[in-house]
Amino acid sequence: MVSEPEKEHVLSKRLNKILESQIENDDETIEALRELSTFYTENSLQARRNLRSQIEKRSLDINQSFLSAFKEVKDSFDFVYNDIAEMNKCIQDMTHRLHNAKSQTKQLLQKTSALQKEKEQNLMKQKVSSAIIKTFQLSREEIIALHADKNKSETPLTFDTFKALEHVQEIHNNCKILMQAGLQTLALDIMEQMTLHQEGALEVLYKWTQSHCRNVDNPELSDLIVHAMAKLQERPVFFKYVIDEYCICRRSFLVGEFINALTRGGPSGNPAPIEMKAHDAQIYVTDMLVWINKAVPIEKQNLHVLVKLCSFEGLDDMLNKALANICEDICQPLKIRIDKILNVPNSPSVLYAVLNMLRYYKKCILKVITGGQLAETLKELEEKSELKFLNSLTDQVNSLLVRVEAPPRDLSPTSSISNLLSILRDMLSTASMSEGREVDMVKIANTVLEPLLRAVNEQASRLPPTDMAVYLLNCMYSMYTCLTMYEFMEGRLERLQAQSDAQIDTLTSEQASSLVANLNLGPIYTILQDHSQGPLSGIPGMEPSNLKSFLSKLDHLSTHPDSILLPQINLLLSSKHKKSVQKRSFDVLLAIYKQLYEAVHNPVNQYEAPDSILSKTPEELNAMFS
Amino acid sequence: MSTGPYNYSYIFKYIIIGDMGVGKSCLLHQFTEKKFMADCPHTIGVEFGTRIIEVSGQKIKLQIWDTAGQERFRAVTRSYYRGAAGALMVYDITRRSTYNHLSSWLTDTRNLTNPSTVIFLIGNKCDLEGQRDVTYEEASKFAEENGLLFVEASAKTGDNVEEAFLETAKKIYQSIQDGRLDLNAAESGVQHKPSQPGRNNLSNDQQANKDNCAC
Repeated sequence: MVSEPEKEHVLSKRLNKILESQIENDDETIEALRELSTFYTENSLQARRNLRSQIEKRSLDINQSFLSAFKEVKDSFDFVYNDIAEMNKCIQDMTHRLHNAKSQTKQLLQKTSALQKEKEQNLMKQKVSSAIIKTFQLSREEIIALHADKNKSETPLTFDTFKALEHVQEIHNNCKILMQAGLQTLALDIMEQMTLHQEGALEVLYKWTQSHCRNVDNPELSDLIVHAMAKLQERPVFFKYVIDEYCICRRSFLVGEFINALTRGGPSGNPAPIEMKAHDAQIYVTDMLVWINKAVPIEKQNLHVLVKLCSFEGLDDMLNKALANICEDICQPLKIRIDKILNVPNSPSVLYAVLNMLRYYKKCILKVITGGQLAETLKELEEKSELKFLNSLTDQVNSLLVRVEAPPRDLSPTSSISNLLSILRDMLSTASMSEGREVDMVKIANTVLEPLLRAVNEQASRLPPTDMAVYLLNCMYSMYTCLTMYEFMEGRLERLQAQSDAQIDTLTSEQASSLVANLNLGPIYTILQDHSQGPLSGIPGMEPSNLKSFLSKLDHLSTHPDSILLPQINLLLSSKHKKSVQKRSFDVLLAIYKQLYEAVHNPVNQYEAPDSILSKTPEELNAMFS
Repeated sequence: MSTGPYNYSYIFKYIIIGDMGVGKSCLLHQFTEKKFMADCPHTIGVEFGTRIIEVSGQKIKLQIWDTAGQERFRAVTRSYYRGAAGALMVYDITRRSTYNHLSSWLTDTRNLTNPSTVIFLIGNKCDLEGQRDVTYEEASKFAEENGLLFVEASAKTGDNVEEAFLETAKKIYQSIQDGRLDLNAAESGVQHKPSQPGRNNLSNDQQANKDNCAC
């Protein structure tokens, strides 16, 4: 309970407080007072009474102005509020829209990623495909290279074609791997495709090669053609057609060149056309053969260049046939010309030269070609020229021997025989340097000697025996000396020798008979052979005087051996023949003398002083004669 | 000289004689070439052929002189008789005249050759049986009487041709073996070893001389 003191206390306190308050220190009060000072100007009762209302009025005014001020603020706030509300609305709209967008985007993303995946797969597939295509398909360029441009009729072939073809082959081979991998259908398809490509390409290649093969010697094309041929050998039919085509081209080219060389000669007439020398058979034939011999190896070389990269069984045979084929057309012009030469009468020596040329060049050319028409033609011409040559020789021989001349008085071979022998000698010396001389020489000798021997025999048959033997010996001696200079004449020489021997025998017997007759030896010899008549000294004709005279004649003969020789013996051309006849006929004499000597010295025959009758021993006599 | 055609031990010389047209050249041709030569021309003088045969394992070269049958060549052909070891005397069985001349041919042969010369009588053209003019028996008798070997042959078919030449060679070879033939005599018609030109010509020959002087 608040005690009165207390009450008093609170009042005191308040008063104190007022009293204690120092108004000067209270700003609020000061402020309030200052304010008051502004309107409270007069300190009157009225004024004091009105103060309150004035203050209240004043406070109302202030509140009034507060209100209007706040109203203004409120309006502003309202404005702001509206703006914000608007904003909110917008944002909400935006949020909404964002939301929408967000949901929409999600779908898109899903789609995108799906597509992304797909894309990756596709990329992968593409990679695989392109790898496959790269491995198993041809590029556009390759296809063009393979099949050529269909718009152009002539496309130059390049090495790309061969690369492409190799690629095709490679792909074809790779298909096997594909097959192993289980992709049969694909593999088969590709294989088929490649086969088609290959066939197509080979056909293009074939056509190209066929039309270009003739230019194999052109350095720009050579390589290509060679490669093409190497490719084509996989297709024997195409290969063969190309070779055939080549042969046709070269054949006509070769014959054209040959005719040119014959009729036109080289560029601007150098070398001169071969036919310019047609008047000289030997040069003409030689020139033609030289030309062919030069041309054929070139053809062979070209042909071998063409198939440089090829090798298969039967190729050599094919090439041989092809070469023979190429050379076929030149046969006819050659044959016609040489035939013409052979059909004109010519001297045997010219024909022999032609024959030898043919023989030589045939040998040369046959080293290059095997078989075929050219070989045949050359062989034919060789045979024909040999025949013509021998015929011409026979004609010459016959024309010289057409008349049987009587042998001259000296029994030497007649001039036509000597002429023939000199012709024979000429022919033989030419033949001895030629190829196949053995056969030739024997043929030539036969051709000349057969009619010659017949003619000689014919001539001789009209002569008396001794003259005949001498004439025959002389003729055979001439032939013998002519033939001994050459090889391969052994058969002929043997025959001549044997024939001479026979004639020497005849001559010996003639000479011996003549000697016996001259020395009166006939009766003596007859008596000597007959042993039935008792002692020889008693037989008439065997008297010592007669024998002595025989010996003196023999003596004379030994010093003058020519005196009682048959005169014809001296006409023998061969001193060997002469000596032989002489010796053998003297031998006959000596034999008889020996018999006589023995008989005289045989006491049975009762000769007195046999040494005085036949003073010479057979040995002494032999020594005298030899 | 021991190779090729020189590889033989003896040379035998033969002569083929007989009338014109009996086929002497054809016989020779058949023997050396084993071919029949139709239209054979007349032989002028002498023709010559060789062939190497074998007798008792010895290689022998036959040197065969085919003589002209024509009378006008008689002088020429006579030269060849002397050196003959074998003489083939030929007649034509279709022409009696050729047979009738045999005795004169034989006389010639006997006179001109040496006694050891083997004479072989050949009746040629035995393929022409239809035109036969000389019987086998008659000719055979003639051969026997004259001591000749005899055969009928055909140059056309080759029958007995080979035999005639070979038989002659065998007979000659036999003579050599028996020593009846003097190899050193040039006129024996036989040479030992291949001919060496000139050597035989110089060898002395009594036999021939006697003949020469006898006539």
